[in-house]
Amino acid sequence: MKIKSAIMAGAVSVSSLCLLSACGNKQQSSSKLVQWQQPTNLTTLDASKATDNVSFGTLNNSNEGLLMAAKNNTVKPGVAKSYQVSPDGKTYTFNLRHSKWSNGKPVTANNFVYAWQRTVNPKTASQYSYLFDHIKNASQIGENKASLSSLGVKADGNYKLIVSLTKPQSYFKYLVAMAPFYPQSKETVNKYGQSYGTNSDDMLYNGPFKVTGWTGTNDSWKLIKNNNYWNAKNIKFNGVKFNVQKDSNTDLNQYSTGALDLTNLVGKQQVGEFKHSKELHNVDMAAPFYIEMNQKNNSVFKNINIRKAISLAIDRDQFTKSTLGDGSKPAQGYVSPGMPKHNGKTFIQDAGTKTGVSYNLNDAKKLWNKGLKEIGKSSVNISLLADDTDNGKSTTEFLQTSLEKLPGLNVSSQNVPSKSKLTRAQSGDFDMVINSWVADFPDPISFLSLFTSNGTYNNGKWSNAKYDSLINKAEGTDANNSNKRWNDLVNAEKTLMSEQGIIPIYYQVRPIAIKPRISGVQFFPTGSPYDLRNIRINNNQH
Amino acid sequence: MVRYLAKRIFYLILTLFIVTTVTFFLMKIMPGTPLTNEAKLSPSERNMVLQQYGLNKPVWQQYISYIVNAVHGNFGTSFQFSDQQVSYLISSRVGPSLLLGLQAIIVGVLAGIVVGSLGAIKKGTWVDTTTTIVSILGISIPSFVLSILLQYFVALKWGWLPIAGWSGFAYTILPTLALAAMPFAESARFVRTEMVDVLSADYIELARAKGLSKFGIIYHHALRNSLIPLVTIVGPLAVNIMTGSLVVENIFAIPGIGEQFVNSVVTNDYPTIMGLTIMYCFMLCVVLLITDIIYGLIDPRIRITGKRG
Repeated sequence: MKIKSAIMAGAVSVSSLCLLSACGNKQQSSSKLVQWQQPTNLTTLDASKATDNVSFGTLNNSNEGLLMAAKNNTVKPGVAKSYQVSPDGKTYTFNLRHSKWSNGKPVTANNFVYAWQRTVNPKTASQYSYLFDHIKNASQIGENKASLSSLGVKADGNYKLIVSLTKPQSYFKYLVAMAPFYPQSKETVNKYGQSYGTNSDDMLYNGPFKVTGWTGTNDSWKLIKNNNYWNAKNIKFNGVKFNVQKDSNTDLNQYSTGALDLTNLVGKQQVGEFKHSKELHNVDMAAPFYIEMNQKNNSVFKNINIRKAISLAIDRDQFTKSTLGDGSKPAQGYVSPGMPKHNGKTFIQDAGTKTGVSYNLNDAKKLWNKGLKEIGKSSVNISLLADDTDNGKSTTEFLQTSLEKLPGLNVSSQNVPSKSKLTRAQSGDFDMVINSWVADFPDPISFLSLFTSNGTYNNGKWSNAKYDSLINKAEGTDANNSNKRWNDLVNAEKTLMSEQGIIPIYYQVRPIAIKPRISGVQFFPTGSPYDLRNIRINNNQH
Repeated sequence: MVRYLAKRIFYLILTLFIVTTVTFFLMKIMPGTPLTNEAKLSPSERNMVLQQYGLNKPVWQQYISYIVNAVHGNFGTSFQFSDQQVSYLISSRVGPSLLLGLQAIIVGVLAGIVVGSLGAIKKGTWVDTTTTIVSILGISIPSFVLSILLQYFVALKWGWLPIAGWSGFAYTILPTLALAAMPFAESARFVRTEMVDVLSADYIELARAKGLSKFGIIYHHALRNSLIPLVTIVGPLAVNIMTGSLVVENIFAIPGIGEQFVNSVVTNDYPTIMGLTIMYCFMLCVVLLITDIIYGLIDPRIRITGKRG
């Protein structure tokens, strides 16, 4: 009896299996939404609390700030149709257009005042409140030393917003394009309370798309065209469906059958498959990977010849091409490419010093021997700390082989989970550590401010008075003079490289495969990862 | 029986308490904070956020307040998903994992019984050899390898089933098969061994002598008696599937609890790790308890308690 019913159940399930699988396939091919893979879950839609790329990517397309990030590190009008900066660079006046929330209510200057106050409020515990540091009283509010209403942002009527900074900040325009600076409706935040932004219903949108189908914990959600968006007539497609998939082989299989239109590529092999395909898009990231040497714990690194020898022993071309092979580029300095130009020249053109990032094993050995003599040692043991990702392991393996070509140098590598690496780096528990820095906004200061003598993230404690004064000038006396400021930053980079304060290795690139029928996806190296407003779909292209 | 149950439930609570305590302190030893943007916060900003989450209090205070809340069914809010209740996070993702586990156990054990019996009946023939080889393969091929093979051939090359995702029964078939391999192989080997024993027992000889049909003997006498010991391994197998579905869930992009677990460990999402550990521990205890009770019920020879029946 039991066995008979089991056989019956089996027969039923096999037949229903066939029926359902037929349905499943049909659904996929008739879908008009762009199918996009995400490597991790959406964790929040609350712009004050978002910290990860998936949340920022979704928010950048479901909501909109005063300005929007645009091609080539420029900004374009968003909710603000124009803005003026006072001659002293400390007051910004934004003129807002008449635009609407997804519930039809107007987006007003007060929505910005409320949102910014909410983000800097220590009760919100935003992990991005530091971006507001230049706004009057923001830091004091964070330390509970000033009232929320004293924040330097005021509404003048419904459509004018006035921002007061404590000192000029030429890159403020990039900041207001980021999610923590988006408007929020006080009414909506209060209405939903704790559940605000924790699912797609308990949220309000003022961007080109509305989020739908996100329960807060599920693995797929949609961005559907928002007809209340001020520029809705220029959104020429229905929307995007995001699917969280963590296995890169699965992603590629789905991409090849057409179940996905966009997918991230992982590693040498996957990128290699697309090497000659126009579907491969290498998105430059403002993310240099570099070695920090602990000058406080290990006196060996106080010797400049030792530091230079280590850098000269690394063949960055070979490493990025043969070992990583995922499109990553050899470092040309610390500040990554893709920063805005000044007087028609890129930062690397002006600051590029081959000294800190070139490969020459003979020179390396000479400097190394010289350095050893100076410190009075014949051999040195060094540990190399990195995270335990595939890239982290490849990097330590390559560096170990390269550096042991220096006579008398023994390198032992340690690959630990990235949270542990971070903690050890910050507490100075390392000899050499491989770190990376992702810039928040496209300005060299987002990188260079790290390595001042008292910089929180100067883990190696490299210290140089000239460098410190250049950074101080760029952030202080020269902040409102673009030529002087640029020169300060260029010279700071040159100092860092000629002193070999750190050893840059490579710039990260994000390889993505996109079906030819999709065009117009705009990726950014910093801040919000992408803009979907200009996507066009051409179904004749395969 | 009632006394036995009360005793077991007391042990269950004690186990949960010990596991919770050990996990809590182990997590405190783990380096790093749950902050996702830690690399960019200044020490004062970091303290501000930690204070908000109550992580700046002494560890013993955090522990007591956690236990008190947990007793009231409050597992706190996730660090990774901002403002999301851990209980909601678990309850909304546990469904797919349970469904897959259940399907895999049913498919695996049923197939195992059929194949195992066949092997025993045809002992020493090519049928026996083939079933043995198949079950050894089932045990030795890891579920993720099987997943990749199934996905590559059945879904990608032949296009019979979807590659990955979660929107209907068709999406559950490949992950179910991948997960079913282990219980299939285990139960096939188990049933074969048991049945070979049973088939040589005196009462089977008697049944043959009475002139019962071959099918009748196998079905009514041999099979039933061979299945009793199977009950003991189904419990642990079920738990194995629930905790082992992690990689399979990743490969087939199942919105389940397994991948959430690893994710929360990597991101130091303490409340979620705690909630999931307690849930897994609870399930393991309950499954073992049920197995023991059923075992006692179907086989009177087994005594649940030492003294009286």
